[in-house]
Amino acid sequence: MKNVDMKMHVKGQSVFIDDIKAPIGLLNAALFTSPVAKGRIKNIDISAAQKSEGVAMVITHKDIPGKNQIGHMIADQPLLAFDEIEYIGQPIAIVVADTRKNAKKACQLIKVDIEKLEPVFEPREAYQKGLIHAQKRVLVNGNIEEAFKKSKYIASGRIDSGGQEHFYFETQRALAIPKEADTIKVCASCQSPGAFQHHIAEVLDIPMHKVELEIRRLGGGFGGKESTAVWVVAAALAAKLLNRPVKLVISRNEDIATTGKRHPYSYDYKIGLDENGKILAFEVFLYQQAGGCADISPAVLGRSFLHTSGSYCIPNVKITAVSCKTNIPPNNAFRGFGVPQGTFIIESALFHASEIMGKNIIELKKINLLKDGDFLPYGMQLKKTNAVRCWETLDEKVNIKKRIEAVEEFNKNNQTKKRGISVIPVCFGISFAQSTLNQASALVNIYIDGSVSVSTGAVEMGQGVNTKILSVAANTLGIQKEKVRVDTTNTSRIPNASPTSASTGADLNGMATKFACEELLTRLKKLIAKKTNFFDLDKIRIKDGIVYLCGAKLDYTWEELILDAYNERTDLSCHSFYATPAIYYDRVKERGRPFAYYSYGTSLTEVEVDILRGVYEIVSIDVVHDVGKSLSPEIDKGQIEGAVIQSIGWTTIEQLRYAPDGKMLSSANSYKIPDIKFVPKNFNVMLLENSENPYAVCNSKAIGEPPFIHGLGAYFAILDVLRKIRKDKPLPSLPLTPEKVFMYIYE
Amino acid sequence: MIRFILNNKIIETHKPDGMILLDFIREEEGLTGTKEACREGECGACTVLIGRLNNEKMEYKTIASCITPIGSLKNCHIVTVEGLDTGDFTLVQKLIIDNSASQCGYCTPGIVLSMTGFCFMSEEISYDAIIDALDGNICRCTGYASIRNAGRSLIDNLKANDYEKTAKKDRLQKLIEMNIIPSYFAEIPEKLKKIGNRSNINISDETVIVAGATDLFVQKPEALENQKLYFMSERKDLEYIKEENGNILVGGAVAIEDFRKSQVIKKHYPELEDYLLLHSSTILRNTATLSGNIVNASPIGDITIILLALSARLVIENRHGNIRKIELSKFYISYKKYDLEPCEIIREIEIPICSKNEQFNFEKVSNRKILDIASVNSAALIKLSDKKNIEKLRISAGGVAPIPLLLSGLEKFIGKELSAKLIQEIAEYCMQSVTPIDDIRGSAKYKKILLKQLIIAHFNKINTVQK
Ligand SMILES: Cc1cc2nc3c(=O)[nH]c(=O)nc-3n(C[C@H](O)[C@H](O)[C@H](O)COP(=O)(O)OP(=O)(O)OC[C@H]3O[C@@H](n4cnc5c(N)ncnc54)[C@H](O)[C@@H]3O)c2cc1C
Repeated sequence: MKNVDMKMHVKGQSVFIDDIKAPIGLLNAALFTSPVAKGRIKNIDISAAQKSEGVAMVITHKDIPGKNQIGHMIADQPLLAFDEIEYIGQPIAIVVADTRKNAKKACQLIKVDIEKLEPVFEPREAYQKGLIHAQKRVLVNGNIEEAFKKSKYIASGRIDSGGQEHFYFETQRALAIPKEADTIKVCASCQSPGAFQHHIAEVLDIPMHKVELEIRRLGGGFGGKESTAVWVVAAALAAKLLNRPVKLVISRNEDIATTGKRHPYSYDYKIGLDENGKILAFEVFLYQQAGGCADISPAVLGRSFLHTSGSYCIPNVKITAVSCKTNIPPNNAFRGFGVPQGTFIIESALFHASEIMGKNIIELKKINLLKDGDFLPYGMQLKKTNAVRCWETLDEKVNIKKRIEAVEEFNKNNQTKKRGISVIPVCFGISFAQSTLNQASALVNIYIDGSVSVSTGAVEMGQGVNTKILSVAANTLGIQKEKVRVDTTNTSRIPNASPTSASTGADLNGMATKFACEELLTRLKKLIAKKTNFFDLDKIRIKDGIVYLCGAKLDYTWEELILDAYNERTDLSCHSFYATPAIYYDRVKERGRPFAYYSYGTSLTEVEVDILRGVYEIVSIDVVHDVGKSLSPEIDKGQIEGAVIQSIGWTTIEQLRYAPDGKMLSSANSYKIPDIKFVPKNFNVMLLENSENPYAVCNSKAIGEPPFIHGLGAYFAILDVLRKIRKDKPLPSLPLTPEKVFMYIYE
Repeated sequence: MIRFILNNKIIETHKPDGMILLDFIREEEGLTGTKEACREGECGACTVLIGRLNNEKMEYKTIASCITPIGSLKNCHIVTVEGLDTGDFTLVQKLIIDNSASQCGYCTPGIVLSMTGFCFMSEEISYDAIIDALDGNICRCTGYASIRNAGRSLIDNLKANDYEKTAKKDRLQKLIEMNIIPSYFAEIPEKLKKIGNRSNINISDETVIVAGATDLFVQKPEALENQKLYFMSERKDLEYIKEENGNILVGGAVAIEDFRKSQVIKKHYPELEDYLLLHSSTILRNTATLSGNIVNASPIGDITIILLALSARLVIENRHGNIRKIELSKFYISYKKYDLEPCEIIREIEIPICSKNEQFNFEKVSNRKILDIASVNSAALIKLSDKKNIEKLRISAGGVAPIPLLLSGLEKFIGKELSAKLIQEIAEYCMQSVTPIDDIRGSAKYKKILLKQLIIAHFNKINTVQK
């Protein structure tokens, strides 16, 4: 089933936050943020700003009625700074005026006196100074010392991976409307209904039942709207203080300069292989560049930590991970949530080891792939493993050996252009690593005309979760899809919703929806039984909106049934709840079953590097990905294509640049994400056939993030070319921008 | 007062000339289908169609409404996604849905407009051409494969309907028949004729000359909102491209895309058609002018770098109609300083037509290949004798100095026989003669070595062409 929202998208009728018709008396807010990366506020002078044209109020920490705190995991993030400054872009004041322009103008009149302190920008330096968020994590499995002793080949070194700007098209924004009796309605572009509602309530000092947070859809999220509540809470605060509707929309360049990004990491690695190339030992230290507040960084780090073995079976490991406090805007979730970084390090280490061993990296990968019965470093034993199946399916499709030969042939015949190739296997754990979050609820209402509305905690951001939920509801009830509408995500209908992230949106909310629909169906079947005197409920079916008994069609439609049910005083509304079973994790022992299941895939990426100019082109990508029994092949294919290209952006051209004082230099005109011509002509995506997954709704598998891993192929395919040119340097860091490729060759 | 037609509605507004079209559409008219996502022309979410009446015929093109001042749109037909409503889905909309070419939907209206605009603009109905037309529409969700498929289907549909063979004058009707645009488009020319208005601002010391606005309205839109503006878009008299006495004469108001596609250019510098695809994107090239690129004086201006190697001259007119001529290579004084008085405009650009044996090449390296500013760019005009001796050598280089540079001192290589060694020598010389700086487009060291490589690339390219 295709994404139902497209019908509105193509006509420009989909309503995003800034498209909501302005309520009477609307004011606009802008943020005044710190120009200094580290320091202490001595004084904030807002007098000139207050007098500026159109200004209604300039809000500072003093005006906050409740807690001045929006830390997502740790209470270290004030909404408005009052003392310590931890990064450039940290909010200090909210200016509210008649127009956005006037609010911005007034921002320029605010004077703050900040005592400057020495900032730290390097994660390793932060760690050495003891500046970390949460605790250091260490996971040991097997006997690493022994294993290295036994290893025939050992590779070790240091490498780094870079950050990534989300560049969701709709920037951070919210519209807050005060209502009667201290209640407030907030329409926001955010992924965490429950958590953000909670932050609003705490900052405004009102109970959560007075805060209604509503989300229709996001113009892209990718994780960037999951944990940092600044903009949503700021709008709510302003509306509450002024008792007027307030909208806060930040500009593209403000968004780039002040919001969190994908975490850069620095890694130390050491890998040991036996004489056949089997991995015996892997030791890695992850330094995460987290930024000035913890935000969601420790959780992201946790996922990197659990994925450092990638798709490989590694019997002996030692993994150490720290979230380093540096003076840049707090980094946050970004599609993959640390898994791309975790996978990057094992892929890099293995690449390095293949050079030392002199064995083809692709063969080396294949012999180490995970199989049923293998254990992951945290003690979980694998079942229904599709790593090898995905690899072999790809091989059947593209003939990996022939492709390698073709590249070699091309390189023999070309001097200034060289091709490189890489195969990337994917193994991605599904579930929130924080077990608590693996819960969802759904509310399904049937109205007397037979139309059905579904509400869940899932947030639609283009990934098609609402369409999947719609299709689960229609299929479960046995009615036409047109009869079902997925309503907004609203905290008054669905309380305490987990964020829509970790690729779990459809898994969790789809399952809750299914439960609710099944319950409603049972109620209806009982009614049918009563009416027909046929009590074998299993043989009563509704299909395409018509009632069947033992396969025989009755002259009884869904609409008639619903009206009867109403007249019989049947409850036509059902709330249902789902919690992923059998997942747990022991943080002390670093052992457990943190994920319900794994998503697998394999891809082959081929690139062509122009040696003369240092530029390159992605020549082709072939992907096989395991989506279980897809709820919507169109949507899943789109998710894979989008994730792969977004990831190739991260591994190649997307580079964030900062000034020495920590100021973001990248902006819309220099931070470039993939365009239509960047995408290879040959871009083939295939869904793994006959894959069943009993651990998620209707045998499907999560899809949002796992295919992001394939994008690593672009880095390693370029690396393949570069290492053939020279090996007298360490592996270059990710991303491999044209500049970096050029300098690798020529410097 | 500014008058134009927005979708099917005649607009008369007293808003200032410098008001941004996107703001007018969204805030004054409440049409929220057109989205703001960057406000710098970088993403295409705000793409709209602009139609102008030219010889009784409407000519439509796509533009970025987020950097377009409404004053430049007098007598235009502006079409937003709401203006495409045919009751049903248009063909383009249907193909986007069929191909699942929309995810979060924020960029989708812009893509609908670019694909619709393509049907008007392109001479060539081909897959490559529609991809070119979408080069300014960034999408963060789809990975583009589905968008390309939608484009491919549109091409198939146009071909199946013999659109290519349809006479230019009948195309609008054909697009209506194919349900690509609504039928009211047919009545627009008559309506436009009725609202006719011309502003007649004269240039004074305070007026700012606005051509495509793609530089000005990115840099300082607020400051310009209430400025007196002089719009080159009203200088229909300066929209020519013609050939005269061994020169190509390009009017001072010519847009880069028109230049790129012009028959005169195709005849004398056919390679430019592809090279110029490296300048910004379709929605920008449609309004950005050659003159704007020159006066912008960016050390990295692509047009400027090309024209420097081609020995272009500028014909400059002052407010009294007096004319002077200057070599482009003498125009730049220092960073963003150039030889132009406040009331002077570039009236014409004169490009000598190169002789046989002269070969031209352009190189540009940027972080992203398309729609990005160069780290280094360079153009070369090289003439070799039959014996492969260098007879003429002109090389320009951008991104390596405070101004767009024509490299000097190359005379010493004239007369020498082209060899791998000589190429190295020339490249080395060029590299040593520049002093780039570290900036967001790359380190000084990178740019220096890169220039050397691009010089080698020039010679490689002309050598292969000669073979
Ligand atoms: C997203 C984006 C991408 C871009 N990509 C590129 C690129 O790839 N390569 C590149 O070189 N540039 C690029 N640019 C910069 C810009 O588009 C070009 O320099 C363009 O050619 C400017 O032309 P314009 O007509 O829009 O100039 P305007 O913005 O209208 O004017 C620029 C300057 O020229 C003056 N001016 C204009 N016409 C005349 C005239 N006839 N006589 C006297 N003065 C005049 C104006 O007063 C102003 O000072 C890009 C810009 C954007 C926004």
